[in-house]
Amino acid sequence: MIDPPLLADTPGDGDAPTRGGRDAMATLRRAQQLVRDAQAAIEEASRVVGQGNGAGLADGAEARLAAAETERQELTERLAEVEHQVGRLMTLYVATYQLHATLDPVEVQTTIAEIALNLIGAEQFVLLLSDEEDKGYEVRLMHGEPDTPWAQAPRYTGGDPLVDAALTDGGLRFGPTEQSPALAVVPLRVQDVTVGALVILKLLAHKLDFVKEDHDLLDLLGAHAASAVFASRVYSKTARKLRTLESLIRLVNKG
Amino acid sequence: MNAVKNRKILVVEDSRLIHKMYEVMLRPATLVSAFDGREGLDKLSQSPDVDMIILDINMPKMTGLDFLGQVKATPALAKIPVIIVSTEGKEEDVARGLQSGAVAYLRKPFQREDLLKIVNHIESKQTAA
Repeated sequence: MIDPPLLADTPGDGDAPTRGGRDAMATLRRAQQLVRDAQAAIEEASRVVGQGNGAGLADGAEARLAAAETERQELTERLAEVEHQVGRLMTLYVATYQLHATLDPVEVQTTIAEIALNLIGAEQFVLLLSDEEDKGYEVRLMHGEPDTPWAQAPRYTGGDPLVDAALTDGGLRFGPTEQSPALAVVPLRVQDVTVGALVILKLLAHKLDFVKEDHDLLDLLGAHAASAVFASRVYSKTARKLRTLESLIRLVNKG
Repeated sequence: MNAVKNRKILVVEDSRLIHKMYEVMLRPATLVSAFDGREGLDKLSQSPDVDMIILDINMPKMTGLDFLGQVKATPALAKIPVIIVSTEGKEEDVARGLQSGAVAYLRKPFQREDLLKIVNHIESKQTAA
């Protein structure tokens, strides 16, 4: 702020100021007032200009805030996606872990059933497993009382085109078709040998259809359930043979 | 998942697979496991300080709803929040579960995010209280 120049009274000639002096004084005072007004105007203008800059800054800040908000939303979406993927991986991990957590054939079958029911949401399903002599497939487990005629028999002798195709070529099949009520047939294959199949006939009422995650799980089941079944069978056979041998040795030792 | 840190959760569920699932999904919470309603009550009498119960419905020996009825009838346990997680997903099943005193009902198969959302919501309510 510029201080207005101090104006001293201009002395006139003698005691009374002259008319010219009075006029000069008035002019000077008027000039002083004008300077004050100008300074006030400058201050006001500065304030307005300052406000103008502030508005500009505010506009910039708002734009940055909007950009940050957009970025935050993108990050939130990405985080949600990552969280979802983590959940999927956890599900797959747990399914794999549990399938290989035992060498008991019955427990392996139970795990397959638990995966079908709890993780896939199958209400009706049948587990077919090849018999010990590989002469065909037995109905080893049935859940939800499916009304498919072949599921009622102890052995699967063919007849459902989707099941037959999956057991023959080892490919995952989805239905239903005109000839088959199966929603999905998951062949259980290990080392190019089909040891069985999980046939899903109905989903839970609140599960409308298979979702993307189910395909991963069905793929996983096809491979890991097969190897778990295979390993448990080999182990139980070996354990049986071992017990027989031990009995023989005890007999020989007694004799 | 720090919301469940230092928290004790009783899981009453007959599937070993789902027990494993909770173990992985709810880490680092301390889980107390029971495989049917009766065992669940035993575990509750041994550990009445659980912060939350996750409960299945279809179980051998004692169903989830019977278990829930007993918990709600016991004043010392009645305030423990119970989440039902079940394959029984009809509207009437959900209504029955909630009327029996569960704070939330989650249908199987469930997504991890959905479970965590419910658990975190209960945690935040408990913390606020």
